[in-house]
Amino acid sequence: MKILAFDTSNKPLTVAVVCDGDVLASIESTEKKTHSVSLLPDIQQALKDSKLSMDEIDLIAVAQGPGSYTGVRIAVTVAKTLAFTLKKNLVGVSSLEVLAADGSEDKILVPLMDARNDNAFAGVYQYQDGELVNLIEDHHTSMEKLLDTLKQYESDKLEFINATEHLTDLIKDVYPEAMVMDTKDSLPEADKLAKLAENKPAVSDIDNFVPNYLRLTQAEHDWYQKGHKKDGNISYVEEV
Amino acid sequence: MKKDTLILSFESSCDETSVAVIKNGKEILSNIIATQIKSHQRFGGVVPEVASRHHVEEVTHCIELALDEAKVGYDDLDAVAVTYGPGLVGSLLIGIMAAKTVAFAHDLPLIKANHLAGHIYSANLVADLQYPFMALLVSGGHTEIVLVRAPGEFETLGDTRDDAVGEAYDKIGRVLGINYPAGKKVDEMAARGNDIFDFPRAMVQEDNLDFSFSGLKSSFINRVHHADQIHEELNKDDLAASFQGAVLDILSNKIFRALKQHPVKQLVVAGGVAANQGLRQRLKKDIEERNLDMDLIFPPLRLCGDNAAMIGAIAQIQYDKKDFADLTINADPSLDF
Repeated sequence: MKILAFDTSNKPLTVAVVCDGDVLASIESTEKKTHSVSLLPDIQQALKDSKLSMDEIDLIAVAQGPGSYTGVRIAVTVAKTLAFTLKKNLVGVSSLEVLAADGSEDKILVPLMDARNDNAFAGVYQYQDGELVNLIEDHHTSMEKLLDTLKQYESDKLEFINATEHLTDLIKDVYPEAMVMDTKDSLPEADKLAKLAENKPAVSDIDNFVPNYLRLTQAEHDWYQKGHKKDGNISYVEEV
Repeated sequence: MKKDTLILSFESSCDETSVAVIKNGKEILSNIIATQIKSHQRFGGVVPEVASRHHVEEVTHCIELALDEAKVGYDDLDAVAVTYGPGLVGSLLIGIMAAKTVAFAHDLPLIKANHLAGHIYSANLVADLQYPFMALLVSGGHTEIVLVRAPGEFETLGDTRDDAVGEAYDKIGRVLGINYPAGKKVDEMAARGNDIFDFPRAMVQEDNLDFSFSGLKSSFINRVHHADQIHEELNKDDLAASFQGAVLDILSNKIFRALKQHPVKQLVVAGGVAANQGLRQRLKKDIEERNLDMDLIFPPLRLCGDNAAMIGAIAQIQYDKKDFADLTINADPSLDF
């Protein structure tokens, strides 16, 4: 199976073409690039490097979030449009799971994304018989609550991935002995994303494939706080 | 015989996701518009992050509907066009990424279109344009007088110094208890009321072609607040009529100044505020009174708001000039002419 995979959910941009487990092409960039500018040229380059045409690709795999809202949307829009327009299979993979894929086989893996104000997007994963298993679903959480939840695991087993300097400080306060990979050492790799996608079901409704933001917009949050409820009959977007 | 050109065009600069198929820049084969108004009405105005999220939800479905309605396939297309600015960056990016992807997937030339130019060229879908022509572009984000000297050659003669005219409508609409977008309701109320409040007509004495609406807006809001404080009941229809009266005087004054400096055969009025009935009647009457031999072109209502058909219209001119873009294009939120 030939897979085109890409992730733009944070600063790094990564694109890979993987065929039956072999990495045919891989582009990774950590420098500050504009994903909206680079993504399609990089996809084009990855296909060229792998000597494949888009027609030969069987599956498109994309990091579906959480992450930078704009970043996730860029990859998801390209992925769903490609899948729709070329009638390809599409699989979305958690951006946190992609980060966890790089973790140690014998650790409790806690991939993170700094969501500011002592908050993070986080999930808990573990390799079991070589397969990455999700122990706690990806969610948006205060660091305090997350670190408390993690008390159920042995602290020297914990491996935090993609922690900013600030998150590292918060983690070390509670778990001085835990292993913490900083953002520089936690780069998503699209070839790993491709491999994770292989074991997941393809999206059945491409039109309704959207990012997993894991957070309402501030405006919607405030609107619900005021006691409003979504009327099930209202369609907020209408064709006119 | 010249071969027909079919362009698949995208527009997502604000709160409408739109995809169209346009033939030769003139004929609308499809023009799918998914509007988010009901969503943003919850918040009293467009919330950029909410808008971006809706665009991702809608974009592929809009492509599908546009192709189906036009009864064409990718092999029939000659190019893909997309608005790259001005607009909300997060919103623009969805149309841009989708358009780039379709162009890449089907090996089609890509055209990056200016949203403002698109609004002006919505007129091309209903009339044969004769150069040079004048355009009055009035919308929620823009108020400009533009001289179009030749196909795709624009010169901005006047611009707003502060609020766009549609923005002013929304702001005074809020004071009148009208939800965004307020233009249509204010227009209807104005038709029933009388211009009795004598709001200021900013800059009409000045010999330039620029606009200002913030003074008018403030004057309106102050008048209403003052009445509230002294428990005076003001007639809302009269308030609307007085506001619209000032807006129309300002627009009329400046556009006819421009037309005096640059006599042309056609005046195009485009953008969301071009749907305003008061504006339509006023300019028609002004032209008749001045005995001007000039066509007044208002696009039909459906083409006044944001839509991809107009992007297909301007894109045809760029197609003819072979003005193509590559896959590195990005959004330009503050793009101008």
